[in-house]
Amino acid sequence: MRVLLEYTREERVKYISHLDLMRSMQRAIRRAGIPIAYSQGFNPHPVMAFTSALSVGVTSEREYADIVLTESMSIAVLKEQLNHALPKGITLREAIVIDEKTPSLMSLIERADYELRVDLLDKDQTRQAEIDWNKAIEAYENTAEIWIEKKSKKRVSTVNLKDGVWDIRIDQENPSLVHLEMKLGNKGSVKPDSVIHAILKLSEQLPNPEAEDLSDLRVSINRTGLYFQRNGKWITPLALKKY
Amino acid sequence: MDKLRLDHIMGQVTKPVRYMGNEYNMVVKDPSQVSIRFAFAFPDVYEVGMSHLGMKILYHQLNERDDTYCERVFAPWVDMEEKMRQEDIPLFALETKSPVSNFDIVGFTLQYEMSYTNILNMLDLAGIPLLTKERGEDHPFVLVGGPCAYNVEPLADFVDLVALGEGEELTEELLDLYGEWKDSGESRNAFLERSAGIPGIYVPSFYDVSYLEDGRVSEIIPNNSAAPKRVAKRIVRDMDSVYFPERVIVPFMDIVHDRIMLELFRGCTRGCRFCQAGMIYRPIRERSPEKLLELAEKLVRSTGYEEMSLSSLSSSDYSGLEQLVRQLMSRFEEDRVALSLPSLRLDSFEKEFIEEMQKVRKTGLTFAPEAGSQRLRDVINKGVTEEDLVKTVSDSFASGWNSVKLYFMIGLPTETEEDLKGIADLAKLVKDCYYQTDKEKRQKGLKITISASSFVPKPFTPFQWEPQDTMEQLREKQQYLRSALRIKNVDYNWHDSEVSYMEAVFARGDRRLGQVLLSAWQNGARFDGWTEHFNWDAWNKAFEDNNLQPEFYAYRRRKKDEVFPWDHIDTGVSKASFLWMEWQKAQKAETTPDCRLNCTGCGIQRLGEGLCQ
Repeated sequence: MRVLLEYTREERVKYISHLDLMRSMQRAIRRAGIPIAYSQGFNPHPVMAFTSALSVGVTSEREYADIVLTESMSIAVLKEQLNHALPKGITLREAIVIDEKTPSLMSLIERADYELRVDLLDKDQTRQAEIDWNKAIEAYENTAEIWIEKKSKKRVSTVNLKDGVWDIRIDQENPSLVHLEMKLGNKGSVKPDSVIHAILKLSEQLPNPEAEDLSDLRVSINRTGLYFQRNGKWITPLALKKY
Repeated sequence: MDKLRLDHIMGQVTKPVRYMGNEYNMVVKDPSQVSIRFAFAFPDVYEVGMSHLGMKILYHQLNERDDTYCERVFAPWVDMEEKMRQEDIPLFALETKSPVSNFDIVGFTLQYEMSYTNILNMLDLAGIPLLTKERGEDHPFVLVGGPCAYNVEPLADFVDLVALGEGEELTEELLDLYGEWKDSGESRNAFLERSAGIPGIYVPSFYDVSYLEDGRVSEIIPNNSAAPKRVAKRIVRDMDSVYFPERVIVPFMDIVHDRIMLELFRGCTRGCRFCQAGMIYRPIRERSPEKLLELAEKLVRSTGYEEMSLSSLSSSDYSGLEQLVRQLMSRFEEDRVALSLPSLRLDSFEKEFIEEMQKVRKTGLTFAPEAGSQRLRDVINKGVTEEDLVKTVSDSFASGWNSVKLYFMIGLPTETEEDLKGIADLAKLVKDCYYQTDKEKRQKGLKITISASSFVPKPFTPFQWEPQDTMEQLREKQQYLRSALRIKNVDYNWHDSEVSYMEAVFARGDRRLGQVLLSAWQNGARFDGWTEHFNWDAWNKAFEDNNLQPEFYAYRRRKKDEVFPWDHIDTGVSKASFLWMEWQKAQKAETTPDCRLNCTGCGIQRLGEGLCQ
């Protein structure tokens, strides 16, 4: 039985790494007594797969993991037991049974949506940044290509940031909230904080124009969902539900 | 605490998860509903501190009390410290992020001499005056415990209270007293005086130390009538009824020892002469197999850990080890819990056993012959022979192991070139054992790691009278081994001699070193146990500025009746009639048998009658 889990990573645990998260999920599954399958071979490990890594410090409303069980069990019971065994701050929102032949989630997901808030900090208190997002987005739209350096462990490459973005827009009700729709996939994606840095730089709104990152600012990034396309429509992994 | 500001800097440091808390099984309480706030402080980073069994025990035990909330504090890594100082963020506890200065008691565990500058640094980051004499009625009490507390003299100026021996009962008594004292409205000093009446509590400021002209200690006498002439360590009598946690915190990050630690027993009967733990943790006391199985069961359920280690000083000496391992194996095989046995001794390791252990998952094989020749192993009373090693590694190779780690020490008393050559010979012997193993049975890719640390003479051991090898001697020996161990499939690791030197100085240090410690910290020393941070210049300058010679502490051979700075502390093991006699025997390479076989008269029975047979 193959089960897809949809869970959160909330503020109180947002500094865990992808590896930490995988380990925590494995241990929670063990505590919950869920009959997860183990791989064959010399060093067997539980059969589970995760979607793309969430950066350290970023919260998420919807993350996904895909596990294989050795025997079937009631989804309601699984949800209850796993939620009880998870650390506070990781909440199982949904669990669904998916077809055994479903391709890996990692290969399906094409879009990650984020919400961002950026505040300026002064020495004594936090205060709202006076960032003009209209100006920032206008600068983004009026620039045909935005080349940035992307560092990986092995090398530094130059990529056009615009190739990594589906859409940027300001929230209709809250002008300090920005919605970002980022591309995910094999070609290598761009991180949301790189987008913020680039457009604030373009619109000359960085408090320190030379800064190469956002450490002068207080940035909150929240992933709101992961999507892929089917028949020209964006759908969430929960659409894979078999029964 | 300004949580937004803290959150902001956590976004800029390496491994912010170290400062996050909120792990599974973390204890959550409302601090306003308790009368005692206890900060359990570990003077190193999170991943080291969280690997420590003593912290797990006391953290969960103290939190069983309704009147107490025990929270954890670790040393912030250098990048975090820099940001905290920049942003005026004081040292905080992980559970509530409250400033440590708001706590009633800050308890540091002293595992290693080279963590002392971190203690000063943490107190400073907390805004607590470093010197006890500068602390006022509103400051927390600074308590220390752990192995280095037996000679706490270099820290005497900085700590209010010292807990000697096992903490389970002692800490409860201290907190009961604290609760009473807090309600009474008496002075800070009154609490110290009342604490000094609890067996095992040592208040350094209640003792005066005088020195001879040459720097040796003349005498140590109490200056307060509440203080006993000698303070004896505490011993827990019954390992089955003493507290042991049934759930422990499961860290998010990968810590050094990320597994369930099942403590089989305390004490060790082997009597290795270099080993301080073997002397100070006497006598031997075992947990029953029934209790251990019960604890194992509960811990596996409550943590989800996939590995369990049997932790004790010499786990393979446990009376019913084979049966226990078999039971644990059969009980947890289905749950896929791997068992690991650290600090294995060669002689009690059976082939069948090795195969048994392998059923679940492979864990590394380590052995500690400690010295290269039989003569030197007799000097240190490490009763292990070459035959033991050959038999065990051959069995291991035949069972599919291909990687072996051997631990040695260099600079042991009476060591000669012959003994060093013995280390290389043993490495070759292990290699031969591998190639003599049936090709069908052995696993490809042999890897032998030889790790040689530098011997540090420790107080309360038979070698406490002896000088350490000079750094020059140690470097020559390391150089010798480096060329002698240039063998295919063999890796050689060694330790920095400067660090071992400072460790030797502080291990047998006196109160005058407090000034050196303070200067070294002011000169920027911290995380001295981490090679990349050890700051030799900071230490050198600190000794010069305070007119003290490190050689005096590390390189001096003591006379039999010298008054040691730690002579007013009683570990139960007798200085004159046991430790000195052991040193005499060592020089003649005479061994002392395991005290499970026959009482060797170390003196511990005086503290815990009936514990030894």
